[in-house]
Amino acid sequence: MAKRVYHVDYNLCIGCETCQSVCSFIHHGKSNIQIYYTVTGIPIPIACRHCERAPCMNVCPAGAIFKDNEGAVIIDTKKCIGCLMCLAVCPFGVPRYDIKLKAVTKCDMCADRRELGMAPACSEMCPAEAIFFGKPEEVEESIRRRTAEKIARERISGLNLEGTGMLL
Amino acid sequence: MRFAFLCRDRPSPTGRKVAVIGAGPAGLSATGYLVCQGHEVHVYDKLPEPGGLMLFGIPEFRIPIYRVREGYEELREVFGVTFHTGTKVTFGERKDEGDEFVKETVDFNEIREQFDAVLIATGTWRSWIASIEGTDLEGVYPALEYLFRIKSAKLGHMSWNSIPPVQGKHVMVIGAGHTAVDAALESVLLGAEKVYLSYRRTIHEAPAGAYEINLLKQKGVRWLELTVPARIIGENGKVVAVELQRCKLGEPDESGRRRPIPIEGSNFQIDVDYVIFAIGQTPTPPFSEDVGIATDRKGRIVVDMRHMTSVEGVFAAGDVVTGPSKVGKAVLDGLNAAESMHIWLEGGE
Repeated sequence: MAKRVYHVDYNLCIGCETCQSVCSFIHHGKSNIQIYYTVTGIPIPIACRHCERAPCMNVCPAGAIFKDNEGAVIIDTKKCIGCLMCLAVCPFGVPRYDIKLKAVTKCDMCADRRELGMAPACSEMCPAEAIFFGKPEEVEESIRRRTAEKIARERISGLNLEGTGMLL
Repeated sequence: MRFAFLCRDRPSPTGRKVAVIGAGPAGLSATGYLVCQGHEVHVYDKLPEPGGLMLFGIPEFRIPIYRVREGYEELREVFGVTFHTGTKVTFGERKDEGDEFVKETVDFNEIREQFDAVLIATGTWRSWIASIEGTDLEGVYPALEYLFRIKSAKLGHMSWNSIPPVQGKHVMVIGAGHTAVDAALESVLLGAEKVYLSYRRTIHEAPAGAYEINLLKQKGVRWLELTVPARIIGENGKVVAVELQRCKLGEPDESGRRRPIPIEGSNFQIDVDYVIFAIGQTPTPPFSEDVGIATDRKGRIVVDMRHMTSVEGVFAAGDVVTGPSKVGKAVLDGLNAAESMHIWLEGGE
């Protein structure tokens, strides 16, 4: 199967927490994507970015982290020894120790959904379309399209709107 | 938004019929869950289009219109959901914001008789207005109605003439939550000459967060913290100015935030043409008389652990239960309620 990218765009996130809701709903109350708020109130969604050269995969001494045929970085909880080295090297602080499983878990890019031909639940439900999933070129194309809109909006809102009417 | 994200195709029907009242994030997520279980769902909404505040309140630059439209269209086309738009379900007389589009009223008790289960997800469609002199003047708007009119014009349901003509005018928004920020931003985008934001605490307590307030300031919005409206001054029935009173912060109140205390004799006036109140909303359940469904002192519907109201077979979810919250919280509440409804419909607890 072909490479798929999963991209959470920090600029497009509106902090509505829908991703968190649907992820926890399908994962028995534990969400693999979590929104954190900075002191000034900026929402930042933290989730696995499924890195191409994943530091967690390289550092894992148990060889418990692997990539599936679509490029998702996945932890084999049976092999995991719970040393948390993956958490230490993850630039996004993603891996989470599960007390019941006695292993580290994280987002698997909705592996069971992808098998049925569906996209990750958070990307399907995000109202702001801040979570992208698909072929790399498709994802990049939609991000550029959204960015172009944003640039236009910034430019227009910086101008005096007198005489332009209600174009927005 | 794929509200039916739990399945890919429509499963075989169970023969059970569910009514969902309110097509906002809670109602549509619940609908998505229920159709994935094979139930027949009818969605009632007083607005001309499903989507609730995601379409008729939150500005387009936050939630793209096509995201919501694609979502409910899939529910209709693929999963056979019937949408009854422009239809207000109610029992007893009451006027709420967003009633402009109501073409038809359906009795709440009639719905109860027609369906195997009912979900109430009607949200919080009434804005608080301060009890001060002058709120009946022309030019005073509840924030939701203001935003609702702007979005209705963008969606093509109202003419641009129905929007308050704020272009070149002075607008004052009262409040500092997300609704206040959106009302101020939309005013800037509509070409208001001066936009003021009045808040009784400081930027550090603003519910929308300091970042959003600073963004507004950069766009030219005048931030008036530690002020509270004392009265609205009118001429020939129209707003001409607002009298504000300065505040100082006292001891923390029950919310943990320091209480604003008005300072005697600190009143001052600002010339404005429009005053928009964004100081909170209250729940709007589909009944204003006793139908046996319990509500608390804030008007929220009381539900048990199964999301069931005090009437068997009638469930409730979203802001009408929790009070004003967030899209995501309403989505989760809708999903949880739908799960309980499914279990109940299948004869479980």
